[in-house]
Amino acid sequence: MSTWLAIVCVGITTFVLRASFIVFADPQRFPRIFRQALAFVPPAVLAAIVAPGILLNQGRFDPSADNLRWLAGLVAIGVAALTRSVMASIVSGMGVLWFLQWAMG
Amino acid sequence: MPALPDPSPRQEFIAGSREVAPSLVGTIPFGLVVGVASAAAGLTPFEGVALSVLAFSGIAQLVAMQLIAAGSPLLITLAASFIVSLRLLMYSAALAPHLAHLSPRWRWLIAYLMTDQSFAMTVRRYGEPGERRHKHWFFMGASVTLYWTWQLAVVAGVLAGAGVPSSWSLDFVVVLTFIALLVPVVRTRADFAAAIVAATMALATAGLPYRLSLVVGSIAGIVVGLVLDRRHWRRA
Repeated sequence: MSTWLAIVCVGITTFVLRASFIVFADPQRFPRIFRQALAFVPPAVLAAIVAPGILLNQGRFDPSADNLRWLAGLVAIGVAALTRSVMASIVSGMGVLWFLQWAMG
Repeated sequence: MPALPDPSPRQEFIAGSREVAPSLVGTIPFGLVVGVASAAAGLTPFEGVALSVLAFSGIAQLVAMQLIAAGSPLLITLAASFIVSLRLLMYSAALAPHLAHLSPRWRWLIAYLMTDQSFAMTVRRYGEPGERRHKHWFFMGASVTLYWTWQLAVVAGVLAGAGVPSSWSLDFVVVLTFIALLVPVVRTRADFAAAIVAATMALATAGLPYRLSLVVGSIAGIVVGLVLDRRHWRRA
């Protein structure tokens, strides 16, 4: 029940954001500071998602070589910077992770 | 003055779906990943597909399903999906002036179908010269094509995902996807500062329940980026 409530509410949230100005409001009333803040949403949000995904090892901060996801993540960051390709980043990152997991036995 | 051609709705629709076609190479694997992740997060196939139909946004779906899996309170789930979807507000503001002449029914439909890709392509199309009356059909061609490709990829991922063992670490594909999205959006020094501060704050608050660290880190990064940006503006 709470899962369904969450699913419906998330759907309403994304729709309201999309419809905000197209359906409901006048973009002239959009304050400039807010527009500037929105420019930083992608780097901030994505970094806040990525960092715990690669730097936490069993829930603890671990930037050492024992943290295989950190190593695989660094490789993927390099590949993403060079190729700008989502596919290449996924393939290289998973490749490194699987290889290290296999090598560490 | 020579009369510029005014393509029919049909011609606009076809032009839109042609233009979106190359980017579907990225849409299909991303949809599969989101479908697999929803199974891994413990959503039933029906719940995973319903989330996809209602939210129609890969990032919002991934964040929402992770928070639902963590048993987060509704308000936290909503705050997180609101923050990751804020860019849609920016798109809405940019497209609104071009769509003001359409009926409310059209505008509701266009709002529902708007994505990163269809927004980018449509803004470019509206910037081109010519008195074409059916440009919204170009948006429909691009968006409807993208919509069905996305939903079918998610369904395939949801059905396949239930059979994948956790030792394959497929949840890491989600992190890698976000890495690939993050790297290209870090362009200026202020972007970099926003990303570093957001990452640091998210790690520092990782002990908080319900992945609140995502909300805390995001807001900290946005504020720092904005402060650096405005200082730059004043000097210029």
